[in-house]
Amino acid sequence: MRKFIRYFFGIKLTLIAAFSFTTLILLLSGASPFAAYYHIFKGSLGSWIKFAHVIAAWIPLTLCACGLLYTFRIGLWNIGVEGQMMMGSVFTTYALRLGIESHHPVLFLVLSFAAGLIGGGIWALIAGFLKTKGGVNEIFAGLGLNFVAQGIILWLIFGPWKRPGIASMSGTALFPPQLWMPYFSSIRLSPVALSLALIAVILTALMLRYTRIGLSLRAIGNNSHAAYLFGLKPGRYMLLAMIFAGGFAGLAGSIQVTGVYHRLLPAISSNYGYLALLVVMLANYNVWIVPAVALFFACLNVGSIQLPMMLRLDSSLSGVIQGALVLATLAVHAWQIRSKDKKWVN
Amino acid sequence: MRILLQNIHKHYGSVKANDGVTIMVEPGMIHGILGENGAGKSTLMKILAGYTQKTSGTILVDDFPVNYRSSAQASSLGIGMLYQDPLDFSSLSVLDNFMLGQMNGITKLLSLSFLGCGPAVHFRKKFEQIADHLNFSLQPDDSVKSLTIGERQQLEILRLLSQGTQILILDEPTTGISGIQKEILFNALRELASEGKSIILVSHKLEDVESLCNKVTVLRRGMVTGEMDKPFDTGRLLKMMFGSPPVSSSRLRVRSSTASGEDVLVMIRVSAPGERTGLRNCNIVIRQGEVVGLAGLEGSGQGVFLRIAAGLKIPSSGEVHLQGIKTNGKDYHKFKQMRVSFLPGSRLEGGLISGLSIAEHFALQDNRKGFFVRWTDAFEKAKKRIKSFRIMGTPESLVESLSGGNQQRLLLSFLPEDPIFLLLENPTRGLDIETAYWFWQHLHKYCENNTAIVFSSSELDEIFMAADRVLVFFDGIIIKDVKTSETDIHELAHAITGKT
Amino acid sequence: MVKKTVLVLCIICFFVSLSSICSGKAFGAAKPYIFGLLLVGPYNDRGYSQSHYEGGKYVEKTVSGTKMLYIDKVNPGDRPGVTIPQLVDDMVEKGARFIIANSDDMKDGIREAAFMHPDIYFVHCSGDDVLTGKAPKNLSNLFGRMEYGKMIAGFAAALTTKTGKIGYLGPLINEETRRLAASCYLGAKYAWEKVLKKNSNDLKFQVTWIGFWFNIPGVTADPTQVAQNFFNTGYDVVVSGIDTTENVVVARQKRMQGKNVWAIPYDYEGACEGADDVCLGVPYFNWGPGYVRLIKASKSGNWKSEWLWLDPDWKNINDHDSSSIGFAAGPALPSKARQHTDDFIKRLGTDKLNLFKGPLYYQDGSVFLKEGEVATDKKIWYMKQLLKGMAGQSGTL
Repeated sequence: MRKFIRYFFGIKLTLIAAFSFTTLILLLSGASPFAAYYHIFKGSLGSWIKFAHVIAAWIPLTLCACGLLYTFRIGLWNIGVEGQMMMGSVFTTYALRLGIESHHPVLFLVLSFAAGLIGGGIWALIAGFLKTKGGVNEIFAGLGLNFVAQGIILWLIFGPWKRPGIASMSGTALFPPQLWMPYFSSIRLSPVALSLALIAVILTALMLRYTRIGLSLRAIGNNSHAAYLFGLKPGRYMLLAMIFAGGFAGLAGSIQVTGVYHRLLPAISSNYGYLALLVVMLANYNVWIVPAVALFFACLNVGSIQLPMMLRLDSSLSGVIQGALVLATLAVHAWQIRSKDKKWVN
Repeated sequence: MRILLQNIHKHYGSVKANDGVTIMVEPGMIHGILGENGAGKSTLMKILAGYTQKTSGTILVDDFPVNYRSSAQASSLGIGMLYQDPLDFSSLSVLDNFMLGQMNGITKLLSLSFLGCGPAVHFRKKFEQIADHLNFSLQPDDSVKSLTIGERQQLEILRLLSQGTQILILDEPTTGISGIQKEILFNALRELASEGKSIILVSHKLEDVESLCNKVTVLRRGMVTGEMDKPFDTGRLLKMMFGSPPVSSSRLRVRSSTASGEDVLVMIRVSAPGERTGLRNCNIVIRQGEVVGLAGLEGSGQGVFLRIAAGLKIPSSGEVHLQGIKTNGKDYHKFKQMRVSFLPGSRLEGGLISGLSIAEHFALQDNRKGFFVRWTDAFEKAKKRIKSFRIMGTPESLVESLSGGNQQRLLLSFLPEDPIFLLLENPTRGLDIETAYWFWQHLHKYCENNTAIVFSSSELDEIFMAADRVLVFFDGIIIKDVKTSETDIHELAHAITGKT
Repeated sequence: MVKKTVLVLCIICFFVSLSSICSGKAFGAAKPYIFGLLLVGPYNDRGYSQSHYEGGKYVEKTVSGTKMLYIDKVNPGDRPGVTIPQLVDDMVEKGARFIIANSDDMKDGIREAAFMHPDIYFVHCSGDDVLTGKAPKNLSNLFGRMEYGKMIAGFAAALTTKTGKIGYLGPLINEETRRLAASCYLGAKYAWEKVLKKNSNDLKFQVTWIGFWFNIPGVTADPTQVAQNFFNTGYDVVVSGIDTTENVVVARQKRMQGKNVWAIPYDYEGACEGADDVCLGVPYFNWGPGYVRLIKASKSGNWKSEWLWLDPDWKNINDHDSSSIGFAAGPALPSKARQHTDDFIKRLGTDKLNLFKGPLYYQDGSVFLKEGEVATDKKIWYMKQLLKGMAGQSGTL
């Protein structure tokens, strides 16, 4: 708890900077900033159903963010998380398609999650190998693989997996309800997905704190040369971190397919991967703060739909808020470091 | 033009790169600045050339105090510096490059796009004039890419001169250039000095300084340790550079039996690139229980030697045998299994992991199998070692929060209980005498159990104090291999500067 | 530390109190009959979504006490992470009693939402859930018989083309888009054979699909590119089947470069505005009457789950109060062709002319309608392929 409070007071400058910037934008676009913030707030936490929607966005966001913690620990910028999520959903869709006629839908649901994990993991591993064996920067490899993953999804939707008689980019055919992840129909929230995300957070926290893997990742991330002298193999751990990141992202992709859209569509990843990068950075790479920041971003995402509905504002404004937050974080961070340096020198 | 640097201080945090340096440079002189690597020469010159800001002190030009904050301002005062690696716009021609330094924005663009028009012709003339005068063979139409380091230097000198430089600073100008080019350079510098310009030559090469300079100032650990006019007394210069042996330089250790142990490391004609000079054709045998000091100017091959011996670097040729097993191509982790340990010189870059606590470092070293970190064990071990190595810190302390000496002790505390071969790079750098003494006592205990120790040091005192045998490196070659009991500090100092 | 904790708690309390006060009755006072509109594209796209938006406005004007709530750009590309059921939940929370989903793409989502909110009325435009029996009681389907609009468009296109090559900018491939493209072809063929007395083999009718209702960069084919390809390869009239007006824009560019080309947009009555020199006219939807009919039914308790495929008002197909589809002739249509077109519309309105009459063959040569057979609604609705004589992909590879 103390950690939380310390964190939130640590970022108050950031928040002030971000909010003044967004307020300015809102004023420029002729809207009342208070009304905008109010509607975002009410549209995200105003009712249980809305909160359930927020949680639905929070789940994949948190899963991706948890995965990214591993790669950030070892100093990798796994920007390919988006593509890993996409491949997770592709593999999941593949597994579910096998189960359409089956009498054991639960079996195929479980299988599809395993497939999602594997799909994301494989995709991450490719980037990892390119980095460790080929010396390709993981950012470029990741971006490239994101495009490839998107291409694969489009090809599948428009080609082999298209609905019978139909060729549309809008997605594959809906899966039968027995292949949907079980959910509370009143608030449309899957307890399975929620517990998966919570487990991911706790598991990640334990992994990073208490296992040799966590310690080694941190050691290599902070100083890979020295870590090598300590007997660690940086390349191997990089691959391991990538597998974790890809696995979690793939799981997020599975949930998007089985729990949210019940089919594969081009925008299946909903940019949660990229968003998760921001979440982790804003959370200062702290596993306990990640869920809170992810919740904040999920609120923004869900609540911002109110802007066009109630205020006739473009909802991309929520993107502006998120961007402002990140910029403000980086700016405040840089400023803090500089003022610290100054003190030190003087 | 006369330059007076008065009581210059430059501090990087707690590190004092320059600690009250005062130097006077007279016009028409070639003034040498001599010192070991890290003595503060380059820092001082960067301050003079305006690339770095001094922490305190005064610079006087012709007795007027000046205060400038950039190299451009320095160059307008007539102070120009030639870097170790000249920065050029390598895709341009020599002439373009020559012109670039002397025009501002608009003219630059215009003349570059209309080469051959007015300014270019003017500059070509100017260029050829100065180049002829200094006997430089540089052709204005060559591309900069095709130039050798020496020719780039010439270009840089021409540019500085045409900008009206009166004080020319050269930082290690003879590194990487051929003998002929060195001759041309030195003649040009003599010529310039005879015209009344001041030349400052920064070097750690005694022979260069001796053959060229009229006056020498020696720096050591950020301070001036002495000045000397021509003719030079090499012995005294060396003393200024390396310090004189303390009277109590009694050998810390007297070996009972001399080198009767088995071979630990054998190198046969080993060569490898790296550092400044690489390692060339190294043949060496290190035996059990032996303590071997590596002397030489920093970057003369000691680092490469240590890393090859530790399996951190793969030699380009030759054979390495460790305890009778050929180990070419095996990595450090294999060496580690064979109980070889390496401590790198730069602690926070190479040895310790900033952001991790002391206990976490010990947890990393725990090589028992298991999924979870044994935190209690790690804390216990950390506590024990903190006590026995007298480290000022707690198991939770982050290593970057420790002082340099404590970081070094911590690194030493990582050494395994029963190593066969220890490789240490500048192990006592930054430690006070007492700690260094204590440290060697600790290390020598290992030797009782037949551990072989090889360490590099820039302090000859330390080598005499701790080692049985010394290898002197010069320019990547071991030019001296002698027992410490059979040599003295003068002989070694000569060897270090390449004079056998 | 304590101070800070208190401050945090205060802030939290403030927001919580805010939400509980305001969530209660935001729209309580006047109790208007709120209907929600989910638009797949921007509400001002000068195309399909705007025609729905205008329809909603028409309802607000015509049926007193109604209030529209709309959200546009409802597609996963524009609003990642947002699903139809979520939006419906939100609208219901805001008091909506009647919800219209305007896109084929929302079929599954709106059905799911309808099952979840049995006391709310739902309309899915362009869908067939009622026909297939998948729809719950509170879901109806609504569509206008755009086939006629497309026939008129094809007719005008064939009368105008100089090269005898008509391009059809298709969206994605499904039953709806196939039958609309086919209708356009039938209109063109009729003009070609019966008015111009030419051989139907000399008429080229090419359909190129982009993959969705509008351009999604990186996902669909770029409609601007497709239109340009048409014009560059000798097609001088491009008829649009997509929600947006790229074909008109490109035609204007080509016209400015001196090319003699024309375009026919789709969906929205005002789509020709500003393109007088190239626009031959636009077949458009007029959702107002259909909306009003369903909303009135729901308000008065006469609701039943229906599949409505509404005819134009043949007395005046451009009557906003009665005709579900219309054709607004464009200024670029020559007056003689315009007369022919008017005649054609009149004849369509009588029983004398039915273009969906055999013999008609599918692209692969199989029989669609036997000699003399008149197509039933179902047969037209579920066309399996494009017709013989049309070039382009039919969907089933």
